Amino acid sequence: MTAVPGMRDLAHRLLTYEVGAGKTSEPMESPTLRVYEKLRQSLVEFVGVAGFQSLASRALTLATPEAPSLGAARVSSDGSLQGLGEIETQIDMDKDRAGEGGIILIARLLGLLRIFLGEALTLSLLRSVWPGEAFDDRNSAHGRNA
Amino acid sequence: MSTEDKVKINQLPTGVPGLDEIVGGGLPEFSFNIIAGAPGSGKTTLAHQFVFANATQERPALYFTVLGESAIKMLRYQQQYTFFDPAMLPGSIRFINLSQVVLEKDLGAVLEQITKEVERANPAVVVVDSFRTMVRKPESDMDLQSFIQRLALFLASWQATTFLIGEYAEEELRDNPIFTVADGLFWLRQTAERNSIVRKLQIIKLRGQDSVPGLHTFRITDAGVQAFSRTFGLTGQVKDPPSQRRLCFGIPDLDEMLGGGVREGDSVLIAGSSGTGKSVLATQFIAEGIRHGEPGIVAVFEERPQAYAQRAVSLGLDLETPQKDGKLTILYLRPLDLSVDETMHSILDAVQKIGAKRLVIDSLAGFEMALSPGFRADFRESLYRMIFALTGIGVTILSTVEVDESFTEFPFSTYSISFLTDDIIRLRYVSIDGQLRKIMVVIKMRGGNHAKDIREYEITSKGVVILGKRLTNYQGLISGIPVHSDRSDSTGEPPLDTGIEHKT
Repeated sequence: MTAVPGMRDLAHRLLTYEVGAGKTSEPMESPTLRVYEKLRQSLVEFVGVAGFQSLASRALTLATPEAPSLGAARVSSDGSLQGLGEIETQIDMDKDRAGEGGIILIARLLGLLRIFLGEALTLSLLRSVWPGEAFDDRNSAHGRNA
Repeated sequence: MSTEDKVKINQLPTGVPGLDEIVGGGLPEFSFNIIAGAPGSGKTTLAHQFVFANATQERPALYFTVLGESAIKMLRYQQQYTFFDPAMLPGSIRFINLSQVVLEKDLGAVLEQITKEVERANPAVVVVDSFRTMVRKPESDMDLQSFIQRLALFLASWQATTFLIGEYAEEELRDNPIFTVADGLFWLRQTAERNSIVRKLQIIKLRGQDSVPGLHTFRITDAGVQAFSRTFGLTGQVKDPPSQRRLCFGIPDLDEMLGGGVREGDSVLIAGSSGTGKSVLATQFIAEGIRHGEPGIVAVFEERPQAYAQRAVSLGLDLETPQKDGKLTILYLRPLDLSVDETMHSILDAVQKIGAKRLVIDSLAGFEMALSPGFRADFRESLYRMIFALTGIGVTILSTVEVDESFTEFPFSTYSISFLTDDIIRLRYVSIDGQLRKIMVVIKMRGGNHAKDIREYEITSKGVVILGKRLTNYQGLISGIPVHSDRSDSTGEPPLDTGIEHKT
């Protein structure tokens, strides 16, 4: 079982958007962590810390077989992601396989949200966190490859 | 103080069909309300409906969840309802989880967190779900009372209409500071009656306006909670003055017996045993109305609409065309766990939709059987409310009721409901000359004179046909076993029926 393609593409868009946003912000931080943190901040508000921690742990468990590099990562009790930054700081997001583990992890997390909340509500929540351009085609896997 | 000097309390839509009428027009703005009831009674769904009906981008709703159902599961289930609009989240409706604060800190910290969020969001609506899980923490009564009073005061000052949701047992109603502080107290009940579930709602208190007292049935469907007011949505409706117009059956001899027909707005009861033609008379009554441009409703419980219309064809009556033309609605009302209020809601909807003037309920026995066992005990009282409400808006109701034939009594109904009806027509079998024949008699007409004749009739391909003149040469007709007398003078006084007990 792999991450749902639609969620992969959505995760890709958000990560790509954060790559662009990261160039102008400081300190330089893994785009996966930036996406993850934004999701955490938003979701903790309504599902609580324990609720988010459970979801994130499940997402990480599902993602690790697809991206073994995530084996070093873990979700702490406050829901934050530990151990991913070291992996991703060495990865160039402009290369095709760049950030694959991050994409899979975020795709899994979004996939869980879609399973529990449905697509409409998931997208509605994401749109409250990221601006409209984060969902543009330019940020999709297809857009980047073209 | 004049009316102009008084503060005007705005009323907010509850978002729950039928509930606005029960609460007296809408929920008072800035009120502090509690929705109480057992788990699964619909508290959260009701609160969601209110939230979705009132939240806006400018004045959002804050929905605080505590230790009960997790927000993610709650949203998963709640979005199955048709009122749930995902686009309203999180801009107009924000869910905030307080579980961490509740678990790790005290009520003061909870109040502080709520205060912070309210000041930041400026909400029109605040919900705390489940409030009960928060106050189960070991706090002294004084702390709890102080917390509630401060919360109520703060939320009212911030112009928020508030709902606290909690699982409470009815015995907790007394001496609970929460209920004292609350402006509104909504109690949802769910009880199992034999194999059926009966849901009822009560507004135990609502400051500032009159709500409809008593227990109101409600149902939870894919549209959410739907409430059925005991007043059937007709509160404030002006009762039509009694009409002098007569409505005919289209059976000349019967119409003559009725003094020209039944009075418009009357409740008519046709009582008789199986096969005496009650439904045939009812069908002729509705068909005659349609012929005169009076739309009609037939509520059937014992057969499906298609079968009912098909049977009418055998009487030479076309019920298909008026159905297509919007002049007739045949309602089949036989779901499980039906309440009279729900039935009434369906009937009233149909009445208002086609402007019905005649209503047939065929039959009261079927109606009672379709009700959840828990509602059957209230059948007579519910029937009274239903008849009063419908005749009040000028609808003429004809109900059929099956009665057991007896040779010692002449009952009009097994329900003791004849006092609810204006007019009663009794049908029965009689044994005459080795044949089982049928007779009818008009027992009562509240609105005027009627014939006292006992008439024989037959059911033909043209419906009920009354035969000849009144039966004068028999005694004891209403006993069912008359005795032939030698009187053949059809113009003479009819013999008295002796030895028969009349029961209503």
